[in-house]
Amino acid sequence: MTGQMSKFAAFGRMVSQLPSPRGLLPIVLVLVAWQLLQTGNSPYFPPPSAWWRGMVQIAAGGKLLTASIATIETIVVGLAISIVAGVVIGVLIGISPRTGRALGPLLEFFRAMPPPAIVPLAILFLGYDERMKLTIVAISAMWPILLNTSSAILQIHPILLDVSTSLRLSVLERIRLIVIPSVVPAILLGIRIALPLTIVLTLLVEILTSIEGIGALMIAAQRNFQSGQVYGLLVLVGLFGFVLNNGFSIAQSAILRRWPPRNVQA
Amino acid sequence: MASRRTLANINFSGISVFVLILAAWEASVRLGAITFEFFPAPSAIFAGAVELARDGILLQDLLHTLLSIAIGWTIATIVGVSVGLLLGFSPLARRYGLASIEVLRPIPGIAFAPLGLLLFGFSLQTELVVTVLPTVWPVMINTMGGVANVQPRLTDVGRTFRLNSYEVVRYLLLPAAMPSIVVGARISLSLALVMAIVAEIVGNPEGLGYGIVREQQALHPEFMFAYIAVVGLLGLILNAGVLALTTSLWPSTAPRPVA
Repeated sequence: MTGQMSKFAAFGRMVSQLPSPRGLLPIVLVLVAWQLLQTGNSPYFPPPSAWWRGMVQIAAGGKLLTASIATIETIVVGLAISIVAGVVIGVLIGISPRTGRALGPLLEFFRAMPPPAIVPLAILFLGYDERMKLTIVAISAMWPILLNTSSAILQIHPILLDVSTSLRLSVLERIRLIVIPSVVPAILLGIRIALPLTIVLTLLVEILTSIEGIGALMIAAQRNFQSGQVYGLLVLVGLFGFVLNNGFSIAQSAILRRWPPRNVQA
Repeated sequence: MASRRTLANINFSGISVFVLILAAWEASVRLGAITFEFFPAPSAIFAGAVELARDGILLQDLLHTLLSIAIGWTIATIVGVSVGLLLGFSPLARRYGLASIEVLRPIPGIAFAPLGLLLFGFSLQTELVVTVLPTVWPVMINTMGGVANVQPRLTDVGRTFRLNSYEVVRYLLLPAAMPSIVVGARISLSLALVMAIVAEIVGNPEGLGYGIVREQQALHPEFMFAYIAVVGLLGLILNAGVLALTTSLWPSTAPRPVA
């Protein structure tokens, strides 16, 4: 019963922290004005009703659903691979400070490298296919997660490890009680940075190579001067971003309630 | 004493790993362990970079990318700081603006490329559309947060000294919010580099990003790798330079290690 109550209370807090819906007024006003003040059918600034018609057009061809699924699948699978790889490699590097120091300059270089720069390279080596798209997304999104994980492990306070030794904790208990709580918030932070990157790279590859996906639809619409479709797809992609970001935020706060971030000071 | 400390700070094992990997790469290509037609040895890449530099095309592309980053980042910072200040100071603006921003912010920057192409064709304007729109957010959000988190007591202090509203903002609130604004501007700058490269790959056939695609399509892997290396170095230098500059000007903005 009390669990139920606190869940309600938590939900109430979450709702009360959301920005006021009155804040949507500027967007609504702009869209309404755009629709009402349009002069004929502008090839560059079509009214929102034309956006909708454009989307209906694509959907009628049956391409919208398959493209959306392809894009979302790449984002989700790519992110999943990058989380697993980033956490595993990050832990391995973090456990041994010497390895971390030896790989430091290499990791710094890859971190500073803007991920889009490797897209042409991957196309040259892997060719135009799904595998290439997934590889690019996974590799680029891996860095923030990897670096956050390894630095979080390096920063586990030595006293915590001493405590676990004096309490004679087993390895499993040590991981469960000390390592995971110290690392989970940092991993989540890494995913937070990686998520928008996966969306950008998926769309970039699709735009560049016309591999099936929303990006391919966008660039096709632009080449055919279907301006209504260009705007409609922009809104759709914004919606994807909104749903993915907010979905992750909800998951993040749920996970952080289980493993609250802690800052141990000696 | 100081020299010994700098000596100890040099990451010898890191450098040797870096050199070792390059040497292994060179050796395996030379000895034919890797016989992939698009995989040049580091020496060939270096020679390619020298050739590009001698042509003058590398410098031209580098300058183009730097220029568009500078323009895009300046516009984004001006817009982001102004709107961020407005949102930070005015609860009314927050009430009637924040939700709109939360809806617009998740639109990935690359999604504006087709729109930019539709409006401006392959041009610098398209590149700026793709660079400016996503880089506005970090500055804006950090400015707003910085202003909103200033101790309310500071305003009281100002009143006690009989400062007028302008003076309170100018001499107390802005300096207090400055570290947060600087952090936002720094995040925006590294994002501006990424987005400029993206824009040059898809939207504006100029600059380093286009150089990578051009050489990939011309099947000149050594030139392509040279461009990628230059882009990586540019990223390193920009990040390190801005970090050093801002931490020396505002020590409180030094990034804290992730806890």
